[in-house]
Amino acid sequence: MKELARELSVPLPAEESAGWNDFASLVREHQAMVFSIGYHFLHDVSLAEELAQEVFLQLHRNLKSLKSPSHVKHWLRRVAGHRSIDFSRHRGSMPSVALDDVPEPAAAVVDGDPMLAGKLRKLVASLPPKARMVVILRYQEDLELEEIAAALGMPLGTVKSQLQRALATLREKAARSIGEVYP
Amino acid sequence: MSRFEDDLRTALRRKEPPPGFAERALARAAVERETLLERLLGLFRFPAVRWVCAAALLLMLLLGVRYQQARRARQEGEEARAKVLYALQVTGSKLQLVQQKLRQLEAERETQDSAEEDPATSGRKIL
Amino acid sequence: MRRVLFVMALVAFAAHAQDIKFPASFDKLAAKAEEVVDVTVDPAMLQIAGKFLAAQEEKEPKAAKAKDVVSGLKGIYVKSLKFAKEGEYSRADVDEIRSQLSGPGWARLVTVRDKTDDVGVYLKKEGEKVVGMAVVAAEPKELTVVNIVGPIDLEHLVALGGQFGVPNLPNLPAGQKPPAQTEKK
Repeated sequence: MKELARELSVPLPAEESAGWNDFASLVREHQAMVFSIGYHFLHDVSLAEELAQEVFLQLHRNLKSLKSPSHVKHWLRRVAGHRSIDFSRHRGSMPSVALDDVPEPAAAVVDGDPMLAGKLRKLVASLPPKARMVVILRYQEDLELEEIAAALGMPLGTVKSQLQRALATLREKAARSIGEVYP
Repeated sequence: MSRFEDDLRTALRRKEPPPGFAERALARAAVERETLLERLLGLFRFPAVRWVCAAALLLMLLLGVRYQQARRARQEGEEARAKVLYALQVTGSKLQLVQQKLRQLEAERETQDSAEEDPATSGRKIL
Repeated sequence: MRRVLFVMALVAFAAHAQDIKFPASFDKLAAKAEEVVDVTVDPAMLQIAGKFLAAQEEKEPKAAKAKDVVSGLKGIYVKSLKFAKEGEYSRADVDEIRSQLSGPGWARLVTVRDKTDDVGVYLKKEGEKVVGMAVVAAEPKELTVVNIVGPIDLEHLVALGGQFGVPNLPNLPAGQKPPAQTEKK
């Protein structure tokens, strides 16, 4: 947490700060992160794009208040996380997808079984909203639990318990629905 | 890191948005050159803001109406007062005329009594 | 040149209409007049005036006395015609109005007539109670008719003596005692 606080408050040297807040560059740099948070949460490409567009629009409005590149990144994760949860509240908490495959967005070649990956994504999308977002920030963004707590405005203890329960649920569902047993 | 978590990490790897996403985001930001007025008007998408503004407008309207009513009542009152005082003034001036005539008559009578004049020649009558 | 000073025609309640009906000839006279004063204060307006007179009691004590006069009144009607020259109206014009004041209910308080002026003060009575007053003043270039409808307290009217031009009235109807004090202008 201390490292996180230090990272957010340290201003960039002048030569590094020039151009860092150029909106177009920021969009290109972070579009995958923001879109993916939305997609993995909502499991819907068009909804995810709509959400991501709104997040970047909000970034455009608030750009002047952001102090550094890492501040921008943290800000985007936080806003994308909250927006996703709000989206799900207004549109229903469960994604409107069947267990059948839906068109997946174009992705780089990934290791592992793509079928399994798709099924795991559907299982994640079936989790309750807050638990879902905890899992996404943990495994998509590799955030530490303290960082997840800061991003979502949740106590650390709650994040831990949410993650534990979510992983247990996912293991159980994976064994039942896709026949994948994880020790 | 367990296999399970590895599989999750793989499943939840970042994905690129559909083609043209960045261009669309930039275009939206470019269009959105909100003026202060537009930002304020944007607040009206919140029902609470609309209700508060409607209530404030209604209150201002009612206060305005009440003020006008009070002003009108005050004006009517002043007008009524002026009319009454004027009417009394006119009445008073005619009553004063009567009084003046009476005094003149009394004075003449006294003069007549002392001079023993024929009242019929005075030309003035009190009825 | 005829100037209309005031023309205020308000709808009077039928129950409290003025006691004097002006003949059609009066309108013809008004057309000849240089100045016409026509004041109608109906019951509603009297009520409003009463409140305003009371409200300014502290600033204007005489306004409070005027309030005493008007309280209880049903209407005040004033018609006054000022002519550019003498002889614009005849005695017959005045007699048409005066004839109404010799009818039942009316009692003449005082009339003074000389070479120039002919002024009469009349009281309308119901039993011993005064319920109206009329003043008809025929002067060489001015004809004025005042009709006050409603119970007039002559003591209050006398108390206004000297204020708003209301004189001390020397002759009161039988049974009315002269006031202990009268104010003079």
